[in-house]
Amino acid sequence: MKTSKNILWFRCLPVLVAVLIARILPGVACAASPERIVSLAPNITEILFAIGVQDRVVGVSSFCDYPEAATQKPRVGGMSNPSLEAVVALRPDLAIFSIDGNPKAFEERLRSLKIPTFTLRAKRIKELPEGIRQVGAVVGAFSQAEKLSMELEQKIAALEQRQRATARQLQGAKSKVLFIIWPDPLIVAGPGSIADDALQMLGVENIAGTTRSPYPKYSIEEILRRAPDVIFIGKGNGMDRVSEGLIRRLGSVPAVRMRRVFYVSDHLYRLGPRTIQGVEELAGYLAQ
Amino acid sequence: MKNMPLRIAVIASIPALVFVVSLVAGPHMISPFTNDLVSREILFSIRAPRSIVALLMGMALGASGAVLQGILKNPLADPYILGISSGASLAAALGIMAGAAFLGTFTIPLLAFIGALITGGIVGIMGWKRGGLWPERLLLAGVGLSFLFSALLMLFMSISSDEGLRKAMLWIFGDLSMSEWAKIPYGAIFVGIGVTISLFRAKALNALILGDEFAHSLGFSPHRERFLLFVSVGLLTAASVSLGGMIGFIGLLVPHIIRFFIGSDSRLLIPCSALIGGALLCVADIISKAVLPPMELPAGIVTAIIGSPYFLYLLRRKNVLSI
Repeated sequence: MKTSKNILWFRCLPVLVAVLIARILPGVACAASPERIVSLAPNITEILFAIGVQDRVVGVSSFCDYPEAATQKPRVGGMSNPSLEAVVALRPDLAIFSIDGNPKAFEERLRSLKIPTFTLRAKRIKELPEGIRQVGAVVGAFSQAEKLSMELEQKIAALEQRQRATARQLQGAKSKVLFIIWPDPLIVAGPGSIADDALQMLGVENIAGTTRSPYPKYSIEEILRRAPDVIFIGKGNGMDRVSEGLIRRLGSVPAVRMRRVFYVSDHLYRLGPRTIQGVEELAGYLAQ
Repeated sequence: MKNMPLRIAVIASIPALVFVVSLVAGPHMISPFTNDLVSREILFSIRAPRSIVALLMGMALGASGAVLQGILKNPLADPYILGISSGASLAAALGIMAGAAFLGTFTIPLLAFIGALITGGIVGIMGWKRGGLWPERLLLAGVGLSFLFSALLMLFMSISSDEGLRKAMLWIFGDLSMSEWAKIPYGAIFVGIGVTISLFRAKALNALILGDEFAHSLGFSPHRERFLLFVSVGLLTAASVSLGGMIGFIGLLVPHIIRFFIGSDSRLLIPCSALIGGALLCVADIISKAVLPPMELPAGIVTAIIGSPYFLYLLRRKNVLSI
């Protein structure tokens, strides 16, 4: 119900934005696609680079660190607190926001300064291909965006097919998994996070799936009680050292006993072109 | 006050009672005589160390609050007012940013402890004039340093794009979930030393509260006593921050609550504040685990939510006792 409503929104948005651009910048908007794009979120920067419009990106947030070339672009500040001056000084003809992490007020402020904006509303992995198409549409890179989206859709379909096959084999027995974002204090991936989405796609049970927050502070007691079969630990600064204590204390949990604790890359931390690789990475570990 | 021995007996038995409850109660009840392996593990390696850390931390905060309100002669003083916790947070943040992980899970507590001691030292130096520590100077030096260090911490947090730092700093706002047996001896030693010093100097603190002249005439050297008590407060605060970050309310208001019940005599006020501080943090921790399982709330929020209304109620009902 909710998703279908969302999808309807996604379909309408590019059109709305195009209309908006046309109204704000008569003459310019009809003429061509935006030439000076500012990306306010790392996943948007990754999408823009992946669909080959990196030369038209004139500014990125200070969290945009992938691909390497993105770090060479001028910075406009953090995701939650970008600098209005820095953005305006770049004279962008399009600023792209992410629904996750960018403040709505900032977008409104830019609009009031007659700078066209677009917000990527995709939050789930399955919404990503459609989101990439929309970004492709607003920046005028239809074919590349279509190609990337198709690629991702195929990968998602392949993953789902494989998952259905394993599910038939296992006859409903789901392995219990925990995805740790940070060990001390213990923050895990809850419902609404990309990692949780990935675990659902892979047909395993996220033991933190019953919490109410996407990144809840979780109880160690509950990990012992719910006894996960596999533990994933996300990437971070010296993660193995920081996690040592936690893993020692979880010694009796099946995942630790059977040596099924895996340190994974940061692919699942943002919803972008690399996210599916992150899901495939988890699938690889789960198959071990 | 009437029935003093009874009041003290009640106060002394509360922490023991709370400790037992904290082992049994939680998101799931566990019988202490269970034979189930998982339950036993939860009981002995998760709940027991956590409750002990909560007790130690609460004791440190309660006792240091009582002492500090006395030496600064200020009812608004709490252990964090001297900037010690800001210094601890700053040291921990700098260590995390520099990628320090040399001691694994001990890194942050150790950095915080060192930061707290250094800050305590600076406050002491700033508060020193003409051969002794002066309450007003200490208080102002602490507030000044606290602002400086908090601002520096905010600066690092806002310019750093290291997600790890942001998450690790959640610890600063009070977190008991990582309490383990290995941390308890260190915490216990410093809390023990701090409480012992303050108990032995409690009589001198009583005299100091009445004024330096008065203390002098009773045979105490005000500067020496203030220095010793300041050292005990520094140790207690440093130990508590390093055990579990910052927990509000206890250091400021538990001593006031105790004054309502047993009066202002420091010889009783300090140990009773310690006991009730420990018990309150332990209760808050039980609640923080049980409200939204399997999620955990920060214990500091719970101490304030359950403690403040009770304090306000007492304030209406009873006469305010001076320090």
